[in-house]
Parts: sequence; C-alpha cells; structure tokens
Amino acid sequence: MPHDPMIHPVADRVAGLNARYRNHAAQAVLERALTDPHVGRIALVSSFGAESVVLLHMLSVIDRSAPVLFIDTQMLFPETLSYQAEVATALGLTDVRTIRARPEAVAARDPEGLLHQADTDACCDLRKTEPLERALADFDAWITGRKRFQGATRATLDFFENEGDRRIKVNPLAHWAPQDVQDYMINNRLPRHPLVARGYPSIGCAPCTSRVAPGEDPRAGRWRDAEKEECGIHFINGKVVRGPLPKEEEQPMNMLVTDQGFGKDDWTNGFVSAEQIGAPADAPMLAVDLPSDTDPASLAGLLQGIALIRVEFPSFADGRGFTLARRLRLMGFNGRLRARGHVLADQYAMARRAGFDEVEISPELTARQPWEQWQARAGWQSHDYQSRLRGTA
Amino acid sequence: MYKYNDFDEAFVRERVAQFSAQVARRIDGSLSEEEFRPLRLMNGLYLQLHAYMLRVAVPYGTLNSRQMRQLAYIAERCDKGYGHFTTRQNIQYNWPKLPDVPDMLSALADVEMHAIQTSGNTIRNVTSDHFAGAAADEIEDPRPWAELIRQWSTDHPEFQFLPRKFKIAVTGSPNDRAVVKAHDIGLRMIRDENGEAGFEVIVGGGLGRTPMEGKVIRPFLPKADLLPYLEAIVSVYNLLGRRDNKYKARIKITVHENGIETVRAMVEEEFLLRRTAFGGADQALFSQISDAFRAPAFSVGPTVAYDSAHAGDPVFRAWADTNLARHRNPDYAIVTISLKKPGATPGDATAAQMRVMADLAEEFGHDELRVSHEQNIVLPHVHRANLPALHARLIAADLATANIGLVSDIIACPGMDYCALATARSIPVAQEIATRFEELRLAHDIGPLKIKISGCINACGHHHVGHIGILGLDRAGVENYQITLGGDGTQDFAIGERAGPGFAYDEIVPAIERLLLAYLDLRDGQEETFLDAYRRLGPGPFKAALYPEAERGRKHAA
Ligand code: SF4
Ligand code: SF4
Repeated sequence: MPHDPMIHPVADRVAGLNARYRNHAAQAVLERALTDPHVGRIALVSSFGAESVVLLHMLSVIDRSAPVLFIDTQMLFPETLSYQAEVATALGLTDVRTIRARPEAVAARDPEGLLHQADTDACCDLRKTEPLERALADFDAWITGRKRFQGATRATLDFFENEGDRRIKVNPLAHWAPQDVQDYMINNRLPRHPLVARGYPSIGCAPCTSRVAPGEDPRAGRWRDAEKEECGIHFINGKVVRGPLPKEEEQPMNMLVTDQGFGKDDWTNGFVSAEQIGAPADAPMLAVDLPSDTDPASLAGLLQGIALIRVEFPSFADGRGFTLARRLRLMGFNGRLRARGHVLADQYAMARRAGFDEVEISPELTARQPWEQWQARAGWQSHDYQSRLRGTA
Repeated sequence: MYKYNDFDEAFVRERVAQFSAQVARRIDGSLSEEEFRPLRLMNGLYLQLHAYMLRVAVPYGTLNSRQMRQLAYIAERCDKGYGHFTTRQNIQYNWPKLPDVPDMLSALADVEMHAIQTSGNTIRNVTSDHFAGAAADEIEDPRPWAELIRQWSTDHPEFQFLPRKFKIAVTGSPNDRAVVKAHDIGLRMIRDENGEAGFEVIVGGGLGRTPMEGKVIRPFLPKADLLPYLEAIVSVYNLLGRRDNKYKARIKITVHENGIETVRAMVEEEFLLRRTAFGGADQALFSQISDAFRAPAFSVGPTVAYDSAHAGDPVFRAWADTNLARHRNPDYAIVTISLKKPGATPGDATAAQMRVMADLAEEFGHDELRVSHEQNIVLPHVHRANLPALHARLIAADLATANIGLVSDIIACPGMDYCALATARSIPVAQEIATRFEELRLAHDIGPLKIKISGCINACGHHHVGHIGILGLDRAGVENYQITLGGDGTQDFAIGERAGPGFAYDEIVPAIERLLLAYLDLRDGQEETFLDAYRRLGPGPFKAALYPEAERGRKHAA
C-alpha cells in the first residue's frame, strides 16, 4: 500500500513543511500547499477585504476550482458583498462557499444584531469562529492572508502553522511587506475594494471598522478602543485554542451524555490502557481505554475487575466500536461501558442498543449538537427490530 | 405478500420524522456536510452529477399495485415523470430536491415502503429471485427469509458504519437467478442428505474493480441458525475489514487477504457466542412472516384463449415465446414486461406505464409485481387465459417489447448520463446495440444472450457476468470500451475474460455486430447458445472476429 503522509501528527508535518519551503516565494508556497500530500484537503479562507484579492488571484492562477470560504458575518459592508461577487467573477473562481452563522444561533444569541456593542468576542464567536470551525471540519488545512507586519502578535508567523494538532494553517504571505501587497495588485491590475479609497485600509464588519488617519497603523481601525486585536479565528504564537481567548481557570470539559441528559464526568480515578490491566484482583476500581482496533479476544479473562471501559471513536464513520461493545457484553462484561470521541447524536440509539451506557463528547461537539438533538434519540428502546428478534422487547 | 404490522409502520414513520429533522439540521448548519452525508446515505439519498438522487428500496423486488401506483405518483410529483429500475431491484428518482425528500419518504411510508439502507456503508436492501414463489424449480419461497433479514438488518445498531457497503442475496432454488455468488453474502437454498432444507452460505463475492466469485463458508446451515450466523459474519467483518483504503474495504478483500479458513474459524467461534443471544423469537417471527407469503388462491379454468391466440396471432406468439416463463402451476405463466424497448433507456418507466403495470397486476396477476435485477418488471402469477388481453393492453402502453433474454435485453448502468463516477456513457451504447439488431432482425436468430454494460470500473452494470460484457473507460479524455466474454451470473458462475484492446465509442457497436455474426457462423446449430459456443470453442475465433486487422497480422491500434 502506498504510504499515506496524513498519518503523521500535524506538528511533525508542519515542521517538515516549514523546513522544506523555508526559502520559497509566496506563490510557490501556495502552489505546494494545494498539492503537497502532507497538507491534505485545503481551502482558502478569505474576507474579501482590502488585500484579499492578492491571495485570491494567486489561487485562481493555480486552480480556480479550489474551495474558497467567505465568511459573511451578516455585519459586512454592502460594498464588501458586491466586491466579493465582482472578484469571484473576475478571477473565475468556481467554488466560493459563503459561510454564515446558523439562523437559530443568531436568533438565540444576537436577535437584535447588537451583540458587538456588548461583547465583541462573543459576537465574533457567533458570526465568524463557529461558522468557520464548522466549515473547516471538512478540511485538513486552510490558507490565510496573514502577514508578519500586521501586528506584534503576528511577528513570528511561519508559512505553516500547527493549529491545535488538528489542522495546518498556511500563510503564504507571511513574509510580505506592505509594499509587496501594493506592487502585486498594481502589477496584476487587480480590482480594489471600494472602501480603500474611502479611508479604510483594513476592512472587517461595518460596526467594528472605522477609518484610520494617514500614518496610523492600518489595522487601528479594527475594534477601535477595544483591547481586542484578533477576532478569535487566528491565534497566538501557534498555541491555538478555539473560540474566545481562554480564561486560565476554565479548561473546556468533555460532556457525558446519558439518557438523563448532559452531565459532567463523575469518574475521577483516571484510565489505563489495555496493556496495563493488571491481575484482576489488585485493581477493583479500574477503568480502561480501548482503541477502536482492539481485538476483543485479547481481553478474554481480564474483564472481571474492570469498573469502566471506554471505547474510542476516532471518527463517527468508524463503526468498530459498536461491535466491540456488543462483543464485550456477550463476553460477560457488566461494568460501565462508554463510547468516547466523534459520536453523533444520531448514533446515540445505536450506541445504547449495542451495549454502551453513555457517550463522552468534546466541548466542540457539545456546542454543535445540543442536548435536544441527543434527546431525540434517547428513546432508543422503542422502534427496535433487534429486541423483537431476540425476544427482549 | 408481506404486510407491515404496527411495529413496521411505526418504525418507518419514525425514520421519516428523524430524517426530516436531519434535513432541517443540515439546512440550518448544525450538521456539517461530512456528517450529514452518511445520514442521508442511510436514507437512500445520493448526490449525483446533476442533482440529488433518491434510491427507494423494493425489498426482494416485490411490489403490489398500490405501491406501484405510488411510485408513479412520486415520479410525477417530485421527479420528471419517470423512474429508473435498477440492477439492485430498486427504483431511483434522479431529480428530487432536498426539501422535497421528506415528503417523498412519507408518501412511500403511506404504502409501506422506504429508502432505508439503500446506500451507505451498511447492509443494503436484500435482493432475491424475481420468480420467487412462482418458479417451477423452487425448494422454498426465499422471500420470507429475505424479509426476516430485512427486519434484522434494518437499523442494526452494530452495522450502520461498516468498512463498506454490504449486500446479501437469497435464492430459494438451485437455479440461481439472484447472482448470489457476486454478493458479500449469498444464500442458496439446498437440501441435505436427509432432505432437510437449509442454506449454502457463500461469502466474499463481488464485482467492481476486483471481481471475485464468492466462496462457500458453510456448506449447509440449518435455517433456524440464519440470523446468528449472518450476525457472526458481519461482526467479524466489521472488526477485521480494512478501513484504511476504500478499495480494499469490501469483505471480498477481507476474505482474500485473510484466507477463507481463517475467516471461517473466526465466524464459527463468533457464531457460538451470537447464537446464545437469539432465543427463538426470530423463528416465531419468521413463521408469522411466512404466513404472509402464502401462494395466492390460483384460479382454475380453461386456457383455450391462450392456445388460440398463440396459434393464430404471430405478434402474440413472438411475445409469449420470449417473455413468458414456466410457472409451477401449469395453467399459469410468469410474465416479464420488458423495459428495454430498443432505443429507450434500459430500466426506465414513465408514470403512465407504471400505472398500466399496476392495473394489469391488479386485474390479472393476483396483485403482485416484481422488479428483476435485469431491470424488467415481472408479473409472477398470470392465468394463461388472461394473457391475450394482457398483451393487448401492453401493446397500447408501449410495453410489449418481445425481447426478454435476447440481444436487446441489455443491462446498463446509468453511466455518464447520470453518474458522477462514470468514465463513459453506457445507456447510449445499449440503445445503439438494441437499435442495430432491431434493424438487422437477428435477435430471435441469435437467441439467449446477456449483454451487460458498466460506465466505469465499479461495475454496477455487472459486465463481468455478461455473456458479453462492456466496460466503458476513459482513455486520455476519450471513451474506450473493453469487451469481456464468457461471463455468467447463474449457478455456473464465471467472470468474463477480457477480449483484448478497447474500442472507441463509434467502433463498439460494429464490434459487437462482428462478434455476433461470427457466432452465427460458428455455432453448432440453432440450439447452441452464444455462451455454449464460447465454452466449446474458447475465445480464439471470437477474438478473431473482434480484431480482424490483428488477424491479418497488422497491429491493431488500440
Ligand atoms: S468583527 Fe465586529 S461585528 Fe463582526 S463579528 Fe466580530 S465583533 Fe461582530
Ligand atoms: S458502473 Fe460506474 S458509471 Fe455505472 S453506475 Fe456504477 S459507478 Fe456509475
């Protein structure tokens, strides 16, 4: 079988990519990012702001059908929307995907569109970070137009960044100076955002962008008077945490889903791997983590002293965990059985029917699939062919 | 015919409600496309070349007239007025809109139908012999077993996210009309030395890019052990099957890589464990199901109307001689209605045609219809006295094509016209071959022949088991058609052999013509079919007909 580079951890791939492309020009970095197997599925994320056209143009020269994600916060200037359409047509981009917040999320959290006045972080979370996070779920990497000169927080920016060990972020323009951007636009006769001429060198959402005076930092017009520098999409020095800037004390916790609802994990004794299961007698309160490729036969005779088994779901499409659960039950395991990882609300009934007691999900999944969606499948005992066929209905 | 009980009814309604909610969550964004994909696939909704496609299950191919009329209604309301019957005994609608799909599903639920598990990496709609319950050579009607498997596999909590799709076929007769050796699991009913009926269990067959003949994993399985044994096979596969490479994920590869002995040992061990979980409730359910499939009350009466039409009307005679099959009751016949009119799209039927077929089934056919994997519609029980009247009505509906089993009764996958994976057109090739032999008026002379066409290596058109198989590929942007010879999907299963270099689009029909003219010259009398002649003579003379230049010693430009 050919070697699949995507099996390497993100950090290793990023280090390798930075070493390999250190001395390349922006265009070359972009071209490689679109084709290097170590990068994977990739999209360009663009605000169609003042300088976005540069990367969009580079992309269109290499591959017009590469996906471009445009985040429409529904707070943008009308000029941005028309400019977006104009640029996409002029460059012949064929896969521009507009990304927006979910209507019910907006209805629930910012019904009047005034959240930005009370809490810009919360507003950006709602309108940018979460929609983008959802859209990026389908990708292994994304391309941004960030540059080192744009601020102290970006001064050490590399071409490739490790985003939370989950994705690669590619910054082909990292080393560009302001003049490079201008030159590129002039040389390639690229259309300008109409607001630039009106005094907005950096353009975001209408309520949060103001003009800057000549000589002022171009980004000074963004979130003027606030301490905010980044909108939550971009993070600080590679150590990435999604969402609002983290408050130290609040480590996001995984959620435990049971028939009763969401709850905190009440198991506090930690977990060991299958190899660490000792003699059954000496560990009455043992909890074991099983990867999805466990051979259940290897656990024969070891199940006695185990209180809790947690089966990993690396992806919702990996259904091995369901058979593992059933098998453990058939082998006589009566303790707590938990599915952990990428399990969807729609799989809750399957998990329960296969023998799991509970499901442990990440904060991200918890946010995206609230309890009502799980509750819809909590009646897992009804409409079940299996219990009829086994006489257990 | 099986009738939904309250449980089935509630189940299907619940699924419609769930899927409607999932569609809404997709539209509002709480499900990403990646997450929605397997959920829509579990409900038969594909994303195709031009639009969504909804694939509706016709379990083991059996329909009543009410269901057929509803399929017509859906074709009119939510599609362009027709439906496409497939080699999986399903019907596909090629143009539904996402927001309409919940309505389509509830219209299906109104007539006890659904689209559950017609796609996705799960156990698919079970297929069976389209002559089940009527064929003269049958040990037992396989459909009650197929229905039991349908209930067991529906929403099976362990098996919704298998490494790859999983297809099961059942036949109740030793003459295999369900191609069981080309399925992930094939079940063939046989008798043991004591005359007891049971199943020969075959595993790991499949066509696609790596065609493989299924291997016998259990030579004789008592009927009562069916579900635990199936569960053992699928759970072993769920853990052992490869998930790193989609092209190596089918159970045929698992069996090939691990060896049938290893797989058998694992399955037998798992079976012992699984069997304890079934306490006989499945058998009680089975006997209820069986009752629902009891043969209709066949009517008794003279068949003179048939005999005189057969003697006096040559058009009727031609149709009767090709489109009727022997029924277990000598006063009856099995009617196959051809959806292969030369020049039309194989397997397509308009809403009006579906209604005519429903009416005919209701009036003359004990209210039963079947969809065959050869993409035709079967009326399994028609008293011979009614055949002339039925034939006249078919003529009026443009459904009287007399070509079952002949050169123009071609299986073709959707190919480039509908399928996003296609590398070549397949429907137009089928149409042109059919039209050409219609002009030549040779179809009856050539006799029984199965031509099967796939538009890409995935082999949905079953070309590997066509007497003549045609595989459309893309060679540097140009369609190129490879021919395989000698395939056979019956109990004498064989995978066709590649004849040689491929043909361009405009060369393929003339090539088939040369091949068949050569057969007419080579055969040992009218009785020897194409397949028999091929088996007797080997590929040599047929290749010579396909590649005359090569024969003359010049290099054939591929
Ligand atoms: S930039 Fe301003 S308006 Fe736009 S999402 Fe952030 S806070 Fe809200
Ligand atoms: S064989 Fe290929 S072209 Fe034909 S339907 Fe299957 S996938 Fe599509």
